[in-house]
Amino acid sequence: MSSIELDSVSKRFGSVEVISELSLTIHSGEFIAFLGPSGCGKSTLLRMIAGLETVNGGEIRIGGERVDHLPPGARGVAMVFQHYALYPHMTVFDNLAFGLKNIGTPKEEIARRIEEAARILEISHLLQRKPGQLSGGQRQRVAIGRALVKDPKAYLFDEPLSNLDAALRVRTRVELARLHQQTRATTIFVTHDQVEAMTLASRIVVMNARKVEQVGTPMDIYGRPATEFVARFVGSPAMNFLPVQVRDRGGLASAMLGDGSVIDTDVPADALPAGAELRVGVRAEAIRVRQDGAIPGKVEVAERLGDRTHLHVRLMDGSTLVAEDTGISQVQPGDAVRLAVEGATAHLFDAAGLAYHARQ
Amino acid sequence: MAASERIVGRGIGNKVILASVVLVAIVWMLPIAWVLILSFKPNSELMISTASAFHPPYTLKNYTDIFQTSGVFRWLWNSAVVSVGVTVGILILSSLAGYGFARAEFKGRDVIFILVLLGLAVPEQAVIIARHQIFSDLKMHNTYPAIILPGLSSAFGVFLMTQYFKAIPKDIDEAAMLDNASRFKIFWKVLLPLTIPAQATLGIFSFLGAWNDYLWPLISATKPEMFTITVGIASTQTNFAQSEGLGFLMAQAIFAGLPVFVVYLFFQKYIVRAVAGAAIT
Repeated sequence: MSSIELDSVSKRFGSVEVISELSLTIHSGEFIAFLGPSGCGKSTLLRMIAGLETVNGGEIRIGGERVDHLPPGARGVAMVFQHYALYPHMTVFDNLAFGLKNIGTPKEEIARRIEEAARILEISHLLQRKPGQLSGGQRQRVAIGRALVKDPKAYLFDEPLSNLDAALRVRTRVELARLHQQTRATTIFVTHDQVEAMTLASRIVVMNARKVEQVGTPMDIYGRPATEFVARFVGSPAMNFLPVQVRDRGGLASAMLGDGSVIDTDVPADALPAGAELRVGVRAEAIRVRQDGAIPGKVEVAERLGDRTHLHVRLMDGSTLVAEDTGISQVQPGDAVRLAVEGATAHLFDAAGLAYHARQ
Repeated sequence: MAASERIVGRGIGNKVILASVVLVAIVWMLPIAWVLILSFKPNSELMISTASAFHPPYTLKNYTDIFQTSGVFRWLWNSAVVSVGVTVGILILSSLAGYGFARAEFKGRDVIFILVLLGLAVPEQAVIIARHQIFSDLKMHNTYPAIILPGLSSAFGVFLMTQYFKAIPKDIDEAAMLDNASRFKIFWKVLLPLTIPAQATLGIFSFLGAWNDYLWPLISATKPEMFTITVGIASTQTNFAQSEGLGFLMAQAIFAGLPVFVVYLFFQKYIVRAVAGAAIT
């Protein structure tokens, strides 16, 4: 397997720059996810690595070899497409064999590789069928098989699970994780689904508006989001944001909400920009309903999820936040509650959306 | 209640549509049935009254007379060569052009495509004198290429194939590119097989059009041995054919239409699909 290096790569469509001087190193054997909303440039970046889009600036290296001038087939990567992109008129066997035939692989070797891939993906009984005779899940396995038989330097997945139903998506996700553990192949996985990114990837590249917002492990991204965008995009429900006035509390910042209640954060006060407008960011699981809670409010909506309930609470100053009540919640819409915030997990964000965290 | 009313309503609607379709089919079939019946009647009886068609005697003489016409098999052969030549040529050229317009990116592509489409609006009659002059200068009249070549410029074929290639997801090309396939291999092995329904449609229409074509073969082929079946049969008709040889005329019409009928029998599925597709789009 090979590392992938992107060195100041840029991409323009006409006069519109969709990727601007992006640099990133994907280590050999790493499973990395490009996460972001539609139109953020993640698929374009993947296609640039695959060779399906030209590169207007910078370099792409795979396994140390510069490839950005090479055609897709010469880059040694395999791609799994969102809509499978199987050859409809060929049998599954021929779909898997097509790429190998094109590089002159001996017949016996082709048969051996297909047999091995079919065994791993449990599609041996489908080899003589055509894609039209397969279910969505089976087609996806064949698409993965087509990549697998090529024994590529890296696997590129372009939203491969988005066409599957919810149950199948979860199952395929687990299978992909298992497959990566077996192959230890360098893998790039493009998705807009934060759950897929969090559960599969060893590192996540969060992208927004054609630029990288943050690169980090899933828990880094979740626990220490670099920007307000990342904090909002990752995690469900989204992080709560409330405007605050900050005071120094022995070197740490205390954030006063609009209704006068205070959240004592562990964010160093000296790191904060002086006089800036700030907002506190707190995840729902860090806000609990407690009788001795400092923040009074009224429950407007209770979303019961079984093991926990998300409470949408209107505060005294008119702002709202989402709190989490674990177990079987007795709270009803309309109830007056008091909320306690776990200040140590709170973050502060400046007007530009930049985050300030507690020291690690 | 409302649902059942809707179903009943739909049932009545379907019956009305079915009855209308049957009626139109009968109206459409009647002249063909009339031609078929007349083709089995002796010419002498038809000279007195065509009402004699409804009772015997019937005869095969009109058909045997066709076979006695010298050159009829030659004309059939000519029609077959021309029709197959035009069909194969249109399929090859339209597929290549369609692939180019749908997939290749080159300067002026859209303008050229519009120019091709404008070709649909130019009637054959408008260019036939110039075309005749060109083939005359090239001394090509009375040859197969002269009859075939003009038929190869099919604006409809290019348009149909372009739209069909465009409808194939580009993911398929890209998957093949990642599978190390060359551009020609992607066209030949991956995309072209996916256009078989369109090829069948275009092939059938091209074959029927070429087989039934009359004007250009009539102008280009002046020697009887180069006549196509439509031109050849017309050449045997005398000035008084409609009064003195009506049965023979009808038999000729049936005979000339037989290959088309056979094509229809074999490719009925594709023709219906093509016509239905054209109606939808």
